Amino acid sequence: MSKVVGIDLGTTNSLVAYVQDGVPVVIRGTGGDALVPSVVSAAVDGTIYVGREAERRLLTEANRTVYSVKRFMGKGIEDVRDEARLFPFRVGGPAPTAGEDGPGAPESKTGVVRIGLGEREFTPPEISAFILRELKHRAEAFFTARGEVEPDVDRAVITVPAYFNDAQRTATRDAGRIAGLEVLRIINEPTAASLAYGLDKKHDGLIAVYDLGGGTFDISILRVEDGVFQVLSTNGDTHLGGDDIDLLLTTQVLEDLARRAPGPRSPEAIQAVRKAVIQAKVDLSERDETEIVVPLDSGAAGPGASVEPTPPMYRSRLTRAALEALIAPIVDRTLAPCRQALADAGLTPGHIGEVVLVGGSTRIPLVRRQVAGLFGRAPHTELNPDEVVALGAAVQADILMTGNRDVLLLDVTPLSLGIETMGGVTSKIILRNSTIPATGSEMFTTAVDSQTAVDIHVVQGERELVADSRSLARFKLRGIPPMPAGLPRVQVQFQIDANGILSVTATELRTGIGQAIDVKPSYGLTDEQVEQMLLDSFEHAEADVEARLLIEARNEAESVIAATEKAIRAPEFAEIARTELAEGEQKRIASVLAGLKMVLGSTDRETIQKWTHALNDATQHLAEVIMNRSVQGALAGKNVDDVT
Amino acid sequence: MSSPAPVRTVQICRSCGGGAPVDVHFCPQCTKILTLGRHGDYFSYLGVPRKLNLDIVELEQKFRSLSRHFHPDYFYNATPAERRASLERSSYLNDAYRTIRLPISRIGYLLELEGFGTTSPGSASKEVPPALLEEVFALNEELDAARDLRREGAPAEGWQERLQRARQPIEAKRDAHELQLQELSARWDALVDANAGDQERRAVLGALRERVLERNYINNLLAGIERELTT
Repeated sequence: MSKVVGIDLGTTNSLVAYVQDGVPVVIRGTGGDALVPSVVSAAVDGTIYVGREAERRLLTEANRTVYSVKRFMGKGIEDVRDEARLFPFRVGGPAPTAGEDGPGAPESKTGVVRIGLGEREFTPPEISAFILRELKHRAEAFFTARGEVEPDVDRAVITVPAYFNDAQRTATRDAGRIAGLEVLRIINEPTAASLAYGLDKKHDGLIAVYDLGGGTFDISILRVEDGVFQVLSTNGDTHLGGDDIDLLLTTQVLEDLARRAPGPRSPEAIQAVRKAVIQAKVDLSERDETEIVVPLDSGAAGPGASVEPTPPMYRSRLTRAALEALIAPIVDRTLAPCRQALADAGLTPGHIGEVVLVGGSTRIPLVRRQVAGLFGRAPHTELNPDEVVALGAAVQADILMTGNRDVLLLDVTPLSLGIETMGGVTSKIILRNSTIPATGSEMFTTAVDSQTAVDIHVVQGERELVADSRSLARFKLRGIPPMPAGLPRVQVQFQIDANGILSVTATELRTGIGQAIDVKPSYGLTDEQVEQMLLDSFEHAEADVEARLLIEARNEAESVIAATEKAIRAPEFAEIARTELAEGEQKRIASVLAGLKMVLGSTDRETIQKWTHALNDATQHLAEVIMNRSVQGALAGKNVDDVT
Repeated sequence: MSSPAPVRTVQICRSCGGGAPVDVHFCPQCTKILTLGRHGDYFSYLGVPRKLNLDIVELEQKFRSLSRHFHPDYFYNATPAERRASLERSSYLNDAYRTIRLPISRIGYLLELEGFGTTSPGSASKEVPPALLEEVFALNEELDAARDLRREGAPAEGWQERLQRARQPIEAKRDAHELQLQELSARWDALVDANAGDQERRAVLGALRERVLERNYINNLLAGIERELTT
């Protein structure tokens, strides 16, 4: 049987995990890395890069590289217009279509965001699908290497922030479908994390899961009893995370840079700053002080720059105290949702027995202190906060496939579901924090004689007015039997499934006729669009495989080049060359090395591989010599670095 | 499908065509999960008596146990009909549990079930319940006075204190209502235990309905004062 995996599709990084002999395990890449950066980049020749390679390209091809795409999932262009300016890639939307809807429905004229990737434009689910495909391939390569008979991965559980609305969940499911995955289930990240911790095995009680990731914040309160993980309430902010901290720091450094060296900055220079401040942020979780170091390209340094030895560097010290002062408002924004979630569950902090931290941003000491302060207890940090969500997703995938009834997840819908009524007021049908699956129903009738269709506007959110809520979709009920106004009784059933995704059915009660419903998602894709994208991706599948093989060939070539250059630059190389290498050997290594470097940039995979093998062959003797010397050095009680 | 089953006591299994009592969830013949066709009310579905003082621990246990039987997670590899049945039964279970878990919505549901119409907060009448006329009249006078003070630019402490004072009698009334609701709930349960006649039951339900509507009205008033205080 083909394999089933759990996927954490994160803002910053994504992971894939599976269950082996009852234990969830993260699947690592060939380099041992668990995280796949959620970055996608397009080369001029159309090749798509995902992960580390794409992340590297942020420093060289910033405007052909997309990151943090999760922030755009299920969004319309007017939601993201301000934010889009901060990204090096193009963010746009379809041109407004005039006269489509009546007044009071401006959002229906926009639709889903488009993101420029190289020369082409993609929707956020398509960009996410590139990342999912990368994870799928990683898992398949892993299963193939293990000699599995059927290494194919075609089904997955994918996680989303608990506070994701219907459009964001649907967009995630669409991404899975476009990537050729059957999405068994969408589950909430904090809930997945609690599964991974196996807290049911410890003891029954109340748990708070605090999940601060790259772009989103969630708090979930759960009751665990007899193996049932019942979410009592959830709250959060789908626009709050480590990204915001990075942005603050980046802005600060750019302002400082502008004072020291005025002049315009290239997108690549801004990305170099972003990379440096992220490193500094990470450092300060371990240390009290660090230095932000940014290499300056000569163009960016400008004429006013001080004269320094090459290469010019921007350097600036940053203390943990200064960082904490800067980010305190961001961390504070997580506390109100925590209090709201407690109140919705009818609890006070004292009731909470265990606190679990999830997401890379919870490594920040200030975050840990604030959480400990709020709940009055030290949080769990045993599991890697980057990996715990994917592990939980794998557990859930295993439950779905095996039907194992030891554990059961009962989640809730994070936002109230309602419909627009007279005067633009929201009438709530399913309240937030209702256990899912859940249903609700509402009766509709007609306003004029012989009316055969009724429009229904479905919204999500806690506000009274439709204008303040999130538009989900417009439904048109058609085929109502012609009757005098007010006589038809159309019962509309709203069903939220275990994924937290809405579906709608309708029946005219007098005739018992099921009503046809046209769905127009406000910020989503129609089924037809998703199907087309899936077909497109099949057409590109062959090209994708070729692109992947090319990337692998380049990676291998790069590692051989790096090893060779390291050997040549080593202080003892001169002596080795003089005493141990045959005549012409050094020269041959140098020429093959130069040749491989020359073909490295080409798209001809076979040539790259040929030269890589040639360099391997040419350096084989050298490698043996170095190995022998290092063994001898070790025997003589010396480190190889000391042997000169 | 052809057997002339007594109305409302039997449901039909879509898998084997057999009949099953209305409050069971799995077919006694073929053991498959039953499509949610004819079904009981929230109380009977959860297997608890139609009473207002429920053992909450027992209710939670029943909810968890039924969830373990129905949840869509366990029907992933089942037939489409079983998957749909699992979704329908789980949804109905969750709706049932949510509705009768808290005392006030439990009372509201019982009233609806017994034909006393809806008492949801949204349906609260705009007319002042007769039992509250005196308090509401006094409150409105205080509210007007406080609003005047505010409009004239009086210091916040002044009119805020008036508002706080104005809501005290209403809050006292609400506390009294809670006690009355508890007392009426106990009477209803006793009537159920005694298998009492329709007339006695309807009298208690009618009184419950009046208290609930008054309670809704009071809550709306208090929410209004809260809004004035915070905006």
